[in-house]
Amino acid sequence: MGLAYKFDWGVLWRQPYGVWLLKGIWLTIQLGLLGWFIALFLGIFIGTIRISPWRWLRFLGTAYVEVFRNIPFIVQLFFWYYAGPMLFGESLQFRINAIIGLNYYVAILALGLYTASRVAEHVRAGFASIDRDQYQAVLSTGLTEVQMYRYVIIPYALRIIIPPLTTEFLTIFKNSSIAMTIGVAETTFMSYKIDSETFHGLEATTGAMVIYLILGLAVVKLMGILESRFRIAGLVGRR
Amino acid sequence: MIEIRDLSKWYGNFQVLRNINEEIKQGQTVVVCGPSGSGKSTLLRCINGLEPFQEGEIIVDGVSVNDPSTNLYKLRTEIGMVFQRFELYPHMTALQNITLAPMKVRKKSKKEAEAKAMELLQRVGIPEKAHEYPANLSGGQQQRVAIARSLAMEPKIMMFDEPTSALDPEMIKEVLDVMIDLSKGGMTMIVVTHEMGFAREVADEIIFMDEGRIIERGTDISFFKNPKNPRTKDFLDKILL
Amino acid sequence: MRMFDAVIRNLPFLMGGFWITVKLTSFALLGGIPLGILVGLGRISKKKWVYYPVTFYVNLIRNIPLILVIFWFYFVMPIIIGHPLDPFPSAVISFIIFEATYFGEILRAGYQSVSKGQIEAGYSTGLNYIQTTRYILIPIAIRRMLPSMITQSIVTYQDTCLAFVIGLPEFVRRTTIVDNLEVRSIQLFGFVAILFLITCYISSVVSRRFEVKRERGY
Repeated sequence: MGLAYKFDWGVLWRQPYGVWLLKGIWLTIQLGLLGWFIALFLGIFIGTIRISPWRWLRFLGTAYVEVFRNIPFIVQLFFWYYAGPMLFGESLQFRINAIIGLNYYVAILALGLYTASRVAEHVRAGFASIDRDQYQAVLSTGLTEVQMYRYVIIPYALRIIIPPLTTEFLTIFKNSSIAMTIGVAETTFMSYKIDSETFHGLEATTGAMVIYLILGLAVVKLMGILESRFRIAGLVGRR
Repeated sequence: MIEIRDLSKWYGNFQVLRNINEEIKQGQTVVVCGPSGSGKSTLLRCINGLEPFQEGEIIVDGVSVNDPSTNLYKLRTEIGMVFQRFELYPHMTALQNITLAPMKVRKKSKKEAEAKAMELLQRVGIPEKAHEYPANLSGGQQQRVAIARSLAMEPKIMMFDEPTSALDPEMIKEVLDVMIDLSKGGMTMIVVTHEMGFAREVADEIIFMDEGRIIERGTDISFFKNPKNPRTKDFLDKILL
Repeated sequence: MRMFDAVIRNLPFLMGGFWITVKLTSFALLGGIPLGILVGLGRISKKKWVYYPVTFYVNLIRNIPLILVIFWFYFVMPIIIGHPLDPFPSAVISFIIFEATYFGEILRAGYQSVSKGQIEAGYSTGLNYIQTTRYILIPIAIRRMLPSMITQSIVTYQDTCLAFVIGLPEFVRRTTIVDNLEVRSIQLFGFVAILFLITCYISSVVSRRFEVKRERGY
């Protein structure tokens, strides 16, 4: 095989590379968390209107989901970053493009919008999996609609929705890496940058892999705690 | 033909078969009955090596099942098995279900295998269903195809694990008729079932199992008229109404 | 169609990129699905020396962004084979390895849904492991998981855009190149977006019809 390649794992912590990586990690975390924040609120909202009794609302929700789900994330990102400012017309366009860190904000926005469509799907599926008869059964015991949602429907739906949400939370951190294509200096960007300076891209990207793995484990752990809390506080004892 | 000596099996800490001893001669039909969980299905699966066992010996036609040097695949070509839920391959037609093993194991040509399969379908009474998929067949028809599938390998022994338990009542007879036919034709058979009418007609021996043990044995007259063990009597009372 | 004039002017160039996208997707699927079939088998294997490495590989890849996998292979391959690799083969290998884990998990669910009895029935007629797996387990599992596999294929198709980062002149990269020249971003990226929207939407509609057609009792 003739390995003429000398490994240099020091690139991971020697200055300034170590600091670069740390800054990158911090940005990845920010992108993921802030994007997730948007995605949750927007996604729950859209998921809910998709099962609302008004046809036009349902249609809007479905349209949103289909559009944002079928277009690859990187295309959406580019669209918002390159074409987005143009949508505001000639004068505003230049002002927007002059914003420092525009790519950072656009990335968070794009992540939020994209992930929201997936969250919406899980929310809808969660509600849809509840038998229609279940609603009637609860109401027939004398509870009001509000009580029904609070004590039965929502706890039950949450238990169904949380596992797939864990997957989406993981995915948003993975998708944050795509922000590097518009210059956001997050983890993957940094590992690429280290390579362009030191030509030790292998070590750098391996280091980045480990970072994402640790991040993934942390997310799974966190969501696991959430899942178990809902089981204990479970007002609908399913297990 | 089959000798079982001091057979015992555990699933983890739970003992599911306790010291089973039995001999089945060629051409005999033995019926095994008993409450669920008594180990009947497990016993069958030990005989053809689908389940391993920890103690004892099973000798089939001179071959020891537990012996590490035994070729279990070859052994299974000599023992046919019919399952409670038919277990036909859903992605193949009835004909294909039957011809798969003969073609792949006995290396028969497609023509040969199909000819034999059609013969068997004729024998179980549904040759017209050869090209139907299992989803289009009734339970009774599916089970008959399953029997044909096992017979296609020309086994020396046929084992049936509650073959009619999953069938609607109207279809039980058609399957039992095929089995009675087989038995009268001289096949060595072990049948786990609650169908006592079948047992009365063709069984050479009836075994009652409970909690992993053989509690009682008999030929049909002694068994039904005079069960010796109170548990046997209890069980018979429940199933014979 | 004055609105899309930039698109029309550069259509051959852009569609050349689309063609590369399609090629990349095809290779990724042609390699990824068979590998996924094997990966799925490895994940249900009772042999520890098979199960642990495969599980490690699957969990590793599923937690890492695809971009990183693409980069990693781009850096690794030259070391192994001694000279730099073209972006297309490098991308194909990365995708095959990546997508195989997702197909593997889908098929694993498929394998686990095949009733034990059907496998036992196969063994009881004398078939060995390879025969039972090949003629019974795999066909049934694939038929059951077909909708999920189609969905995952669509995802693969969308993922190919990411090969952009190693300079592969696929669809999105060519769009950015044209955009640099023409700066008609709305048209250009809108075009890409609409094309993907239409192709993916149609594919998912087709996949849904497969779900309905599956009345064969699988």
